Amino acid sequence: MLKYILKRLVYMVFVFLVVTLLMYSLYNLIPSDPARAQVEPMRNTLKPDQYEAMYKQIRLEMGLDDPLLVRYARWMGLAPNHLGKYSGLLQGNFGYSNFFKKPVIEVIPEPMKYTIFMNIFVTILALGITIPLGIKTAVKKDSRLDRGVQVISVVGYSIPIHIIALVMIFLFAVVLRIFPVMGMKTPGSNYTGMQAFWDLLYHVTLPVLVLTFASLGSMTRYVRAAMIDALSMDYVRTARAKGVREKVVIYSHAWRNALLPVITIIISWFLGIFGGSTITESTFSLNGMGRLNIQALYNKDYELALAIQLFYIVVSLIGRIIIDLSYGLVDPRVRITK
Amino acid sequence: MKRLLALILGCAMMFSLVGTAMAEPAVGGELIYGTTTEISGDWAHGAIWTNNATDNTIRGLINDYSTVSFDQGGAMVINQSVTESIDSVMNEDGSKTFTVKIKDDLVFNDGSPISAKHFVANALLFSHNSLIALGSKYTGYIYFTGGEQYKNGGAVMPEIPEDETEEAKAAREEAFKAAVAEGVAKGNVVFPGVRLLDDYTYSLTIVAEYIPYFYDLSYASLSPLSIDMWLGEGYDVKDDGEGAYLVGDMSVETLTPKVEKARFLTEGRITAGPYSLVSYDVGAKQAVLEINPNYKGNFEGQKPHVQKLIIVKSEKATQFDALSTGQINLLSSLTGGEEVNKALDIENGGGFSTVNYERNGYGKLMFQCDFSPTQFKAVRHAIAHLLDRPEFASTFTGGYGALVHGPYGLAMWMYKDAEEELNEKLNAYPYSLDEATKLLVEDGWTLDAEGKEWTEGIRYKKVTEQEAGQYEHNIKLADGTVLMPLIIEWASTTDNPVSELLVTMLANNKDVATAGIEIRQSVMDFDQLLLWMYRDKTQGEQYGVPKFGMFNLATNFNPIYDPSFTFTLDPEKVALGYNVNFLFDEQLDKLSMDMVYGVESTDPEGFLKLWVEYIDLWNEDLPEIPLYSNVYYSIFADKLKNYTESSLWDFDASIVYAHIEE
Repeated sequence: MLKYILKRLVYMVFVFLVVTLLMYSLYNLIPSDPARAQVEPMRNTLKPDQYEAMYKQIRLEMGLDDPLLVRYARWMGLAPNHLGKYSGLLQGNFGYSNFFKKPVIEVIPEPMKYTIFMNIFVTILALGITIPLGIKTAVKKDSRLDRGVQVISVVGYSIPIHIIALVMIFLFAVVLRIFPVMGMKTPGSNYTGMQAFWDLLYHVTLPVLVLTFASLGSMTRYVRAAMIDALSMDYVRTARAKGVREKVVIYSHAWRNALLPVITIIISWFLGIFGGSTITESTFSLNGMGRLNIQALYNKDYELALAIQLFYIVVSLIGRIIIDLSYGLVDPRVRITK
Repeated sequence: MKRLLALILGCAMMFSLVGTAMAEPAVGGELIYGTTTEISGDWAHGAIWTNNATDNTIRGLINDYSTVSFDQGGAMVINQSVTESIDSVMNEDGSKTFTVKIKDDLVFNDGSPISAKHFVANALLFSHNSLIALGSKYTGYIYFTGGEQYKNGGAVMPEIPEDETEEAKAAREEAFKAAVAEGVAKGNVVFPGVRLLDDYTYSLTIVAEYIPYFYDLSYASLSPLSIDMWLGEGYDVKDDGEGAYLVGDMSVETLTPKVEKARFLTEGRITAGPYSLVSYDVGAKQAVLEINPNYKGNFEGQKPHVQKLIIVKSEKATQFDALSTGQINLLSSLTGGEEVNKALDIENGGGFSTVNYERNGYGKLMFQCDFSPTQFKAVRHAIAHLLDRPEFASTFTGGYGALVHGPYGLAMWMYKDAEEELNEKLNAYPYSLDEATKLLVEDGWTLDAEGKEWTEGIRYKKVTEQEAGQYEHNIKLADGTVLMPLIIEWASTTDNPVSELLVTMLANNKDVATAGIEIRQSVMDFDQLLLWMYRDKTQGEQYGVPKFGMFNLATNFNPIYDPSFTFTLDPEKVALGYNVNFLFDEQLDKLSMDMVYGVESTDPEGFLKLWVEYIDLWNEDLPEIPLYSNVYYSIFADKLKNYTESSLWDFDASIVYAHIEE
């Protein structure tokens, strides 16, 4: 088992390195001159000499005059930067945000904190609703409840999330005025401790509801399908024939077997705690990872975008290992013993 | 009778006194300003590192006391609250020295006194080699005598020999780098053009190259910087008679943590503006500012009355909901029919007011005038006649727009002063297929692809080898004649509503085809469009070859209207990205230079005369077709009183005159 994990970790490092090279190259292949893009808005306020001085300085700082491989090596920390120092990924420098003008590592923590905070509630709520609901509708297949949930889940699944967000804003923020339209704290407030926590919770409740509602459809249907398959198996019929209690049949026999296809989704959900929702965060003006990621791309802040995406790659690679190991926990037939 | 008169006078005096007392509004209240642009939290004034719009607004609110300001009309004025006097003298070598005496009662927001050294420190610090290494984008040093040398740690760049080999060049550059490093390490680098004369007087000497200059007063403009906040203990500004210099360890290693801290410092930030930064929530993207009690007033002595300003990040999709529910009190610079109509609907619902103003700039179709059919003035004129510009402006802005016929904004003082003359002189290029056809025929666009007389389809013109250039669509006939087709390659950006409307109203306009023109659109990312526009072959050989004759972009003007070098003939400056129109008209270049570099700052009439000539010639050359100039709206809660805004008078300037009535 330990050998298997070590082997996977070595693969993971190899995959990560290949991906860094590929992604760095891709971002650098985008036809643009980042130095030009930075000085262009100031052209009207600069004289040609000033413009030239600034343009050259930025090119030097960004190392744009060097070949791609040299820049990659510098970004990885295998070659010195314009100040003659080795300061790259290997030294813990995840890059420099050209938009925020500060190291990427200083830009990411705040949005990450808020994204995790919000997603914990979304995950708990969504799984807490969808799993029991999926099981119930599978057990009561073709009942009124099942049909009703099917219709609602199809509607929820089909409506784009920004429509759900706008409708909920209109209902709960504009008409009923229960929740705020946007933001993460009461403007001008100076709350600390629990007051700050409740204020944040008050502001994220509506986006949490939107994200939860939007995720109900797919997960409920997924759990329902897996449970219907499991409930139609011979061992369930056998258990029922033996007189095992229905609850035991459902949760011990059927659900345990239905869990195998569902586990991938459940673990992905937990890993998704780190991933922000671009549309919801943008609509509610929440400073989360999804919004940061899209803004980094929009602002051509490629080192920031690269760092965010590499972080997700690492999370995804770790997630794959966890999913593979969890299969063994759930299903002894695929347990790795060697 | 006398008694009656005395009574009337007495009453009048009393009413006037009461009126005066009532005119001064109370200080208090708060205002939440919603902005859709990102806040980065970098508060270093002067956009030294970052140049985001909202950051600049906040910087404008917390930093003032610049010796020179701009008034409501965009005119440069001496800041009387800060400056005792500004004297200037021409030197024998053609340079000009401004001697600035500041008031002796200025203090920062923490109550610490401001002296001349705090103004001088601004130029010294941000021009310093170590700060440049840390990303400072301050380039004002180039105007001051010895600026380049100061930036290089006192080292002088040796003259480059004509027959220098690559090895010699590398050795020279290495030696220069070492000299710079040695100079910086030695410290106390003197800036000869910046002098600290006494506690409240400093001088700035401008190199002869930049004199005369219509806006030369801008050279004398500096604002104070807290040495304590930026550098801490052990640092000072001195002058031993040769020039001002910074005292203290100025190595990159020492300065890095200090500068990083000072840029993003919020609580305890030492500034000198109408407001002080109280807090900034990085997570929530929310900045809170409160009145600086030590502020003496702006250039007119005006002090703020809105006690607390909260600046929050908003989103376009929900900003009006946030406004109507009170989460935001003010939205600024709204444009386009959809946004403006929403704002007006909210205003009509009650509780809100709006102000509107014209944009100091315009959206445009830009031509490159040295190749392809767009090199011919008649073609540019014909395209202008084939686009219904009033209809375009009205459609695009939803009825909230205006039209200009040259490179100016409707709020500029020059336009206001010369409006009648411009209306007479400028060609509005009214929509006319006949006029466009006539222009093309007169210019020789009378052939078809086989060199016969044109009847339908794309027009061709017999061109010289020089005119033909490398244009990809040229045809060479058997007899060696080169024909250029009337195909316009147009570069436009993705997700751009202007481009979409141009497709409908120009590229797909059947009159354009009837006139024998074909407009081919290529959609690309804005950065890529810039590469094509600048013909920047460092990013790929293909960009070095002219391909697109037409681009759609936008231009905004600054209060300092300085088009110098816009039509430069100097190949080095062209290579640098100036004269992106590649229009080499000596007269236009001369006018654009003379207007600012040939007129003394004391001669606005001279400036205006040249400006009108410049606009007139530009309108004839037509390197660009102005498409629309937006009308911006700002909407705010009724509790905000006396709030005005214009394209030359932003939120940070106008809020100082406003007050809250709950």
